[in-house]
Amino acid sequence: MVEGVIRQIRELIPRGKRLKIMNVCGSHEHTISSSGIRSLMPEGLELIPGPGCPVCVCPESDIINAIELSRRDDVLLVTYGDMLRVPSREGSIISNGRNFRMVTSPSEVVRIAREDKDRKVIFFSIGFETTTAPVAAILETGMPENLYILSSHRLTPRIMEVLVMDSEIGIDGFIAPGHVSAIVGADAWRVFPERYGIPVVVAGFEPENLLLGLLELLRQINDGRPYVGNVYRHVVRPQGNTTAQRLINKYFTVSDVNWRAIGNIPRSGLELRDEYARADAKRVFGLKEVKESKIPGCICDRVVLGKAYPDDCRLFKKACTPERPKGPCMVSIEGACNIWFKNR
Amino acid sequence: MCVGVPMRLVEIDYPFGVAEAKGVRRNIGLQLLPEGEIKIGDYVIVHVGFAIEKLDKREADEIWKGYEELLGLMEEGDA
Repeated sequence: MVEGVIRQIRELIPRGKRLKIMNVCGSHEHTISSSGIRSLMPEGLELIPGPGCPVCVCPESDIINAIELSRRDDVLLVTYGDMLRVPSREGSIISNGRNFRMVTSPSEVVRIAREDKDRKVIFFSIGFETTTAPVAAILETGMPENLYILSSHRLTPRIMEVLVMDSEIGIDGFIAPGHVSAIVGADAWRVFPERYGIPVVVAGFEPENLLLGLLELLRQINDGRPYVGNVYRHVVRPQGNTTAQRLINKYFTVSDVNWRAIGNIPRSGLELRDEYARADAKRVFGLKEVKESKIPGCICDRVVLGKAYPDDCRLFKKACTPERPKGPCMVSIEGACNIWFKNR
Repeated sequence: MCVGVPMRLVEIDYPFGVAEAKGVRRNIGLQLLPEGEIKIGDYVIVHVGFAIEKLDKREADEIWKGYEELLGLMEEGDA
């Protein structure tokens, strides 16, 4: 079956034509890189990794604030493993922080806060919609009084819209992220075919499913009739998970936020609503925005925006490796540089 | 970050539950699915310890099969 799909994909790329298909999910890039899908694609079809890594786009300011918070005696900072190693000009949480702990789930954060009553537990919480919903869930069930959220959540449809408007990239189609779509719904991507004429297909994470998605995208491009396709139908509904959406909207509000090395993007992030200011680490601890520094030689910003491949960077595999990452895209297992390092 | 795995619900004490896959059991949160729409034996996609969506057994098996193939390829790549 896979061979058949690849043959059909090849037939759909006319000679001399160049098409750019972007994925916006680290797990999709993982599948594409580790299964060798990219190497099977015909010349003229570029599969570009886009902003699918929330660790990579988390602003340096939030990381520096997290490091400083963890140095307070009365604080325990908790966050996902990758966040501990992301570099900033003040080092990383693991190298320069003091009281910190890795977690794999927001429920673990609640348990830690209950057990560590004497300290203020701050959850440095990052991620796109899929990872925001569980945080809304713990807020809904009730958080311990000593638990605070440092929200660095970002919205996927907004960054994709920014990419579409950027003529340097020239995207011909999107593979939409499967589990973000499970939350926001396939219909959330309709803006792309309807307003920008760009086809979208929601896909899952197995190689075969991803190839089917790619095939459907190419058919749309060939027919000149863009729409939102969905080959991950058994998990993603057109309207998405409305319970999750309701909870996210109940606790979070959309805000203008910075993306690392990219800058401010209006209405692209989420912060806690005023009613829940008591749990908002930024407000409770009076955190200030720190001006971002540039990492010399690092082109993570261009990699995140799909303007460059990881191996276009002169630091890639030389000064920058997963063991000694210079830029955020090499740290996270969802970062394009990390994924390319492991698969080439 | 957005990795989600299909698991089978084996215990429900809403809004919490226990789900199982490949012999591994995990406590999960069920807040993102309405109480009336889930029952023991249902398959769900679990992401960072929370069920984010339901799916049926055939689909869960298909996803696992795909993941296992991918893991096999990655191991070959490491060798």
